[in-house]
Amino acid sequence: MTPTAIYSRHPDYVQRDVAGECILVPIRRTLTEANSIYVLNETGAALWRRIDGQRTAQDIVTDFCGEYEVATDQLTQDFTSLLDDLLSIKAVEEVTR
Amino acid sequence: MIAQDKLTHLPERFPLSCQWEITCRCNLRCAMCYTDCFNRPEAIRQELTTAEILRILDELAEAGTLELCLTGGEPLARQDFFQLYEHAIRCGFLVTVFSNGTLITEAHADRFASLPPHCIEISLHGVTRETFEGITLGQGSYDRCLQAIRFLLDRQIPLVLKSTAMTLNRQEILEVKRYVASLGTVRYKLGEEMRPSLDGGEGPFQYALSEQDLAELNRRDPDLWRDACRRDSVELPPCRSGMHRFHIDAYGQLQLCSSNRRQSYDLRQGSFQTGFYEALPAFACDWKIAQEPTLIQPTMHHV
Repeated sequence: MTPTAIYSRHPDYVQRDVAGECILVPIRRTLTEANSIYVLNETGAALWRRIDGQRTAQDIVTDFCGEYEVATDQLTQDFTSLLDDLLSIKAVEEVTR
Repeated sequence: MIAQDKLTHLPERFPLSCQWEITCRCNLRCAMCYTDCFNRPEAIRQELTTAEILRILDELAEAGTLELCLTGGEPLARQDFFQLYEHAIRCGFLVTVFSNGTLITEAHADRFASLPPHCIEISLHGVTRETFEGITLGQGSYDRCLQAIRFLLDRQIPLVLKSTAMTLNRQEILEVKRYVASLGTVRYKLGEEMRPSLDGGEGPFQYALSEQDLAELNRRDPDLWRDACRRDSVELPPCRSGMHRFHIDAYGQLQLCSSNRRQSYDLRQGSFQTGFYEALPAFACDWKIAQEPTLIQPTMHHV
């Protein structure tokens, strides 16, 4: 995770709340993705909702830590892992400034 | 983050999967069709409007429905089909479309490709024009169906081809299956069930295969035989319709499933939430296990 980077959610993914689970549905899926949906855990869902194309990754971590009792190092590690996953499926993209 | 093909932790009752017969309109008159009895102007005028369908789709999305099957009739016979379809995709439904394929043009295939469905299932009744059009009663339908299949394959749209085995096509079923296998990524489904028309007519049954004919057909193909043996050997679980699945007809009636329309809840009059959680649980189904009777029945005293 680059702390100063800003990420935006890609419009080709729709967030659904299904039976208490946060799901990302790719709406321009390919044949190989046709049967995949992406389920976020609670922390992942809360971080996903904060990705807004405005705040830096570090801002999001700081904001999150202010709201929940969570160790910054652990959250940074979790957010890095989530961003890697989201970037790999093109669910987020880095905003160029 | 986990990639999954289905959800694992669902409440016992949750509206996950919807089959929606958005119209009984169709450009074909298939011999065994159970909706064709309502493919007439006065019935079509009663069908849900575009605005009504969009509103109900939004209600389903809000309720958490994920899987949406748009069927008919022929869904593409509705002029507003792509407006409905694209809205559904943008809402994040996993959309499957049941179609006869014959109305899918190259431009339509491009629209599907730009917002791809979970799957399109097309009925392929035979491998010869004579058999195919003997069932659809639509001149040119065979060529248009095959052309649609090519348009969709060229665009890598997930595709299932399926047939209903009946007296009119039983001699071509295995050839259809071989043809589908030759297409590579396409799956094949063979259906055996015939249903009465929605108006109660028994017409479709005149084309049903006898049990003996079905068994003979299945014995001629290892895959079909394996599936048939599996069906026969496994005790069917109790019906789950109304628990995770439900059906909506062309007039906005919420029902347990397409095969059980004895009771309905009118989505034109009430909300989906109320219909699913309050009306559906009380609907009867012959395939559901009856509640265990309690040993002591309370006696009602009216005083």
